[in-house]
Amino acid sequence: MLTVTNVSKTYGKSTVLSGVSFELEPGSVLAVIGSNGAGKSTLIKSIVGLIRHDGEITIGGHSVTRDAKKARRLIGYVPQQSTLPPDLTVQEAAVFAAQLKGVDVDRARKAVESAGLEAHADRKVSALSGGMNQRLALALALLAAPPLLVLDEPAAGLDVSARLGLRKLIEEQRALGTSVLLSTHWIEDVPHVADNALILDSGKPVYFGPASRLATDRAAASRLYLRLNGKTPKALSLVTAATGAETVNQSGDWLVVTCPADSKARVVETLVSAGVPILDFRVEEAPVDEAVTRMRQAQEALR
Amino acid sequence: MNGMTVILRKELRDAVQGRWLLVFAGVFGLLALTLSLVDRDAGTTSAQSFNRTTAGLINLCLLIVPLLALVLGAGAIAGERERGTLAGLLANPVTTTEVLLGKYFGLVISVWMAIALGFGAAALLVSPINPLTGAGHYLLFAALSAGLATAMVSIGVLISVLSNGRTKAMAIAVAVWFGLVLFYNLGAIGLALAVSSSGQTLLVAVLGNPVESVRILAVLSLEPDLAILGPLGSYLSNEFGQGRSAMLLGGNLVAWAAAPLALAIYIFRRQDA
Repeated sequence: MLTVTNVSKTYGKSTVLSGVSFELEPGSVLAVIGSNGAGKSTLIKSIVGLIRHDGEITIGGHSVTRDAKKARRLIGYVPQQSTLPPDLTVQEAAVFAAQLKGVDVDRARKAVESAGLEAHADRKVSALSGGMNQRLALALALLAAPPLLVLDEPAAGLDVSARLGLRKLIEEQRALGTSVLLSTHWIEDVPHVADNALILDSGKPVYFGPASRLATDRAAASRLYLRLNGKTPKALSLVTAATGAETVNQSGDWLVVTCPADSKARVVETLVSAGVPILDFRVEEAPVDEAVTRMRQAQEALR
Repeated sequence: MNGMTVILRKELRDAVQGRWLLVFAGVFGLLALTLSLVDRDAGTTSAQSFNRTTAGLINLCLLIVPLLALVLGAGAIAGERERGTLAGLLANPVTTTEVLLGKYFGLVISVWMAIALGFGAAALLVSPINPLTGAGHYLLFAALSAGLATAMVSIGVLISVLSNGRTKAMAIAVAVWFGLVLFYNLGAIGLALAVSSSGQTLLVAVLGNPVESVRILAVLSLEPDLAILGPLGSYLSNEFGQGRSAMLLGGNLVAWAAAPLALAIYIFRRQDA
């Protein structure tokens, strides 16, 4: 569906993307991961044809530079920040998008409904909340049932329930045979939503392969802070033995556990089962920089 | 409906909802009425008076229309880019050329509508005071204003493509307006006279500015005797005659509309969104 071959982008002497190549099969999901400035958005904008680049990108066999119109007909794009005309109402924006995509305007009404915005159809786009705006952008991206859905940081600014809704949408689209490419900071979500992951570090690809490796290679590590009532030493040995946590440290009343993102619940479960009361807890999600460093080190070790 | 038509229609809708079109028509009509009342107080006959009002209107158009067209053109791409909506537009199955032409023609038609409303409002307000006797001239002046607007929107869109912010684009547009409308006579034409006062040099100076081309075209339509234009008139009369002079100046206006637009498309196609 999507073929990216040796794509690079430079601004003056600064290289923001360097030698990125991969393929995205129909019906599969690829997550592009990297910290700020890693080149995720540059890669996505190159794929959508919004910025000029070196190398070749084809969508359904159409080059995004030489055959931009045909290539874009196959894309549904949701950018990081709203690009919908703020002066239009929700309904007008939907009709405008339908006309630009060359689909029946009846679908515009259905898109507004599918975004759950029928009650806001006459409101200006500029008056929508961030969440509403993104729901509308997603619905409009899907107007022409594109075979490739490109989402730039779709989870940014979303609450937990909206993130779960997004996961569901990605699963539904995959089931329909749509290829999905998304960039994200939320590394712990990736093994659950994506088939493959591409990790970028300063514009260079440091990993491309199964997303499940992020879990097995412990790239998606979380840090748990647990305040326990005086039973910290017991908890320390319990957690170390039972959960495969990487590091377990004591800091006053607090136990600091670094573990794979999907083992957090097991840590809590182990303590509760052993009768260790948890008075308070706090979770720090895996910093993407750390994950990138881990994956880069893992790749280097393999060479 | 192709992408260009969709974008053109949105521009027209924005122009109507933005109300600047009606404001322009209203202001233009009131200024025309003021001119007419001044002429009536000067004691001229009705027919003379209407022609004088018409001539006054063209001077008004030479001031207002370029400003309106340049500013609107300058906001076209720079504004979309600044709001982030340009990327959203270009992520659709449209080419960069379709986007630019859609916006250009949308703005041009909007300004034409504003001019038509302005001249219409002026005719409605003025005709009870000075009966309409020179309708042909009046319509010709409206057409010349529309032609000037077409060229000025083109220059404005070029400024917009070259600018990296709406405010900067607006500032450049206003500076260009000052240059073409207010300082050109003093600058370029003064320089041409200083270098050589020949009609040929003056013609080159006139062709270098679409506002001057329209000014001379307007004079040609009102005054068959080209001698009124001094050395330039004598040169035009000897070399081209009235008809071919009008064609030369009209062709120059078309070139001023086409060339900046073509350059804007060339640059825009090579830019990142």
